[in-house]
Amino acid sequence: MAENLIQPGDILLLHALADGELDTVSAMALEQRLAAEPALEAEFQSIVALKEKVASLGRPAISPDFHERMAALGAGASASTRPPAANRLARGWQGWQGWQNIAAAVLVTALVASGATYLLAPGRSGMSMEDIVAASHRRSLLAASPVDIVSSDRHTVKPWLDAKLGISPPATDLAAQGYPLLGGRVDVVGADAVPTLVYRHNEHLITLMAAPGTKAITPPASETAGGYNIVHWSEGGFSFWAISDLEAAELMTFVADYRG
Amino acid sequence: MSIVAGMPGAAQRGPSRPGGRQQVVNSDGSGERFREVVMPHLADALSLARWLTGSAHDAEDVVQDACIRALAGIDRYDGRNARAWVLAIVRNTCFTWLAKHRPRSLIVAGDISAIDELAQTSAVGELPATPEAELIRKADLATVETAIAALPHLLREALVLRDVSGLSYKEIAAMLSVPIGTVMSRLARARAQLAAAVAEAR
Repeated sequence: MAENLIQPGDILLLHALADGELDTVSAMALEQRLAAEPALEAEFQSIVALKEKVASLGRPAISPDFHERMAALGAGASASTRPPAANRLARGWQGWQGWQNIAAAVLVTALVASGATYLLAPGRSGMSMEDIVAASHRRSLLAASPVDIVSSDRHTVKPWLDAKLGISPPATDLAAQGYPLLGGRVDVVGADAVPTLVYRHNEHLITLMAAPGTKAITPPASETAGGYNIVHWSEGGFSFWAISDLEAAELMTFVADYRG
Repeated sequence: MSIVAGMPGAAQRGPSRPGGRQQVVNSDGSGERFREVVMPHLADALSLARWLTGSAHDAEDVVQDACIRALAGIDRYDGRNARAWVLAIVRNTCFTWLAKHRPRSLIVAGDISAIDELAQTSAVGELPATPEAELIRKADLATVETAIAALPHLLREALVLRDVSGLSYKEIAAMLSVPIGTVMSRLARARAQLAAAVAEAR
């Protein structure tokens, strides 16, 4: 068998794997082949390197002026679509209302921009963060797949999260310590998207949510919620929540390995 | 996010009391929806337009056009993936803009069927072997940018939608109205050409 020959179909599969577009079973099968066939592996690494390169290209900055003009566009819509009668009545108000709209636009933008900062405000929906983390973990166990991007390769998972959210936690490779990376997903907590990694330990899944936007540094602490063990800590701009049905001590070991 | 604002009927609810204090003037909520749906994705929109037009200045023009279109069609937004919806409008606006201002950039790569046919036959397998990962990692960003700009439009579009905008194969296929297999082969070809150009520049 000519091992160095890469079949045309394989090329597309390699790209799909790098893009996290393969289902769990196909991804696993292909990853096993990668381990056995150096030519495939080399090709895969090149694709990943190229993707990383493109992802690292700078993004154009939005000038405040442009942002303001687009915001005003939305604000202006209201005035121009108003029926004539109302328009006449409102004429005296127009200047004031235009400003009010721009102010509203700025406010909405500011809220969106600051979204992450009130993420961990306690008791927002009557649920504690522990409950939310537990619910998310439980839901992921019930779903067809606990991850939205399947890959044991951290070089695939991290860019995927970056592309979705513009932010991602370190996707540490812990396969050697007995915690292969299964993939990643995006959880929604309150109104915020939170990057989430999923590791496996024997038959147990470990969900690791990393809520960005904190400056706090707190050491890992064990908690329980919804019948699961949780370890919570903050560092490097993220508030981390590891949750699993692993024993508390085992979960703490995982956290220690993850933090390096 | 308010779903109600998009419900049929919401638009006919009539003008809000003009002059009502603290009342935003939207008579039909479209301005408000625009702020909720479109504005958060302005940076992504600009980024996509920048790569498709090849110019930061033109990108602003295109995004402005796209925003006007999005505002006009905000009622057609179905409440699902806002980002993909906005980027689809930007992509279409780019296409129109390019056809008007740079028709040649489209014509050069214009024979869509030829490219896709090529991609679906054995030609994918005959792509030059991708240069080593190490070589690609060492390439400087300016080289990569130039190489992306030099890709045929269709291939660049596939690459940018996936690797810059981060859209899924499914979303891209829907956006371009092509089968997923076509997206995959365009993407593979785009990356192969890009990698080859990057390696050659060294």
